[in-house]
Amino acid sequence: MTDHNRPSGDDQDTTHFGFTTVKTNEKEKLVRGVFDSVAGRYDLMNDLMSAGIHRLWKRFTIELSAVRPGQTVLDIAGGTGDLSARFSKLVGTDGKVILADINASMLQVGRDKLLDAGAFGNLHMVQCDAQYLPFPDNSVDCITIAFGLRNVTDKALALRSMERILKPGGRLLILEFSKPTNPLLEKIYDTYSFRILPMMGRLVANDEESYRYLAESIRKHPDQDTLMAMMEDAGFVDCQYHNMTGGIVAVHRGIKA
Amino acid sequence: MQREHDPAVITAVTAALEASVNRALALAPVASRELAEMADTVLAIECTAPVITVYITITSMGTLQVSSYSEAKSSTRVRGAFEDFLTLATADDPAATLINSDLEIVGNTAPLLALQQIVTHMDLDWEAPLVDVLGDVAGHQLAQLLRGTFSWGKDASKSLRRQLSEFILEEGRLSPPAAELDAFYDDVQNLALRVDRLQSRLKRFAQKVGAR
Repeated sequence: MTDHNRPSGDDQDTTHFGFTTVKTNEKEKLVRGVFDSVAGRYDLMNDLMSAGIHRLWKRFTIELSAVRPGQTVLDIAGGTGDLSARFSKLVGTDGKVILADINASMLQVGRDKLLDAGAFGNLHMVQCDAQYLPFPDNSVDCITIAFGLRNVTDKALALRSMERILKPGGRLLILEFSKPTNPLLEKIYDTYSFRILPMMGRLVANDEESYRYLAESIRKHPDQDTLMAMMEDAGFVDCQYHNMTGGIVAVHRGIKA
Repeated sequence: MQREHDPAVITAVTAALEASVNRALALAPVASRELAEMADTVLAIECTAPVITVYITITSMGTLQVSSYSEAKSSTRVRGAFEDFLTLATADDPAATLINSDLEIVGNTAPLLALQQIVTHMDLDWEAPLVDVLGDVAGHQLAQLLRGTFSWGKDASKSLRRQLSEFILEEGRLSPPAAELDAFYDDVQNLALRVDRLQSRLKRFAQKVGAR
């Protein structure tokens, strides 16, 4: 089976959707529901939830990408296009940036935002699933996935798909919530995630459940070392990660051999 | 993989630095053009205390990219403590400061000095943003006023410094002249060397006496 061919929908395995166990083939629909619901206020909520620090996390991820003019960059789960806008400038007119997201609502918000910011020409939008990336083998110089991997049903499958389309020497950067390194910070963070975050979701986006899912999905996501091992299993070499803001977020980097 | 500092903190500093320098460069088209001529030059500033390395990349748009990570080859790498960098950044004569400071330089020093000169002598053009906001007449008048104020401020600051220096040296006799100070420092250094030599002789003498 190639990545372009998706499995039939009669798979009855289970997976997690936040703290709830759901059938594997239902998770994608549930995640889509969450992001359809939050798309309109996604940027505002990101700023509120992280006090604007998400911009610094993304900026450091872009620095680690070391993207050069003329390169092709795939921004998976690119949502509202924060990384794509920056990459568009870095790759220049000879390069190409593909903003990919499984969710049409998020892509629509991202497209409007990028056009308003004057980012176009070298930017392409593709609605696709990270597990089955519809791109040729060895065709992309750099892949980023920021705050998206934890929503993917089969992370190992997605990592293999990314490894397939990267050029040899190309790099994958995964920016994702992770495990705080300090126990005290972890306690404060738990209180914030499960009490304050859903409340903010209710007040700002009128959607407590979606933001409760975001908090739960963060806890179910593999920690730093586990994710690094998964990257190595998928075939990436020279894997490493940088903890940010006490490990609340980590950026993992792997190179295709 | 652990770093000495949280990347988010360093990124906040580099982002703020980049934004403020580029905002100033947007108002100084001459400086920006001069910078564009050095496009793709990368300077690595390696601070040993605190341990932070910052990369400054000059873009073809005449702006600066400030980052905490770069894989591009640096044309100049400067290593030293924070105070040394601060002294260099504010020096009137950066070349002399660079030679006399404890900063360690690897590579070509020309881009570093050129950048320092351009940034220090930036002549901000307030007119364009003011005209955008206030219109041609009011914007131009206000820009003239600001230009005059800044120019007077610079002259006044230089004059004040000169007069203050003269007062401290000549009138108040609060500090000796620079030449006298240099001679005093040389004497102190000579004395220190002579004491060291005397100490060595005494040690040798004590060893000889002990051997007998």
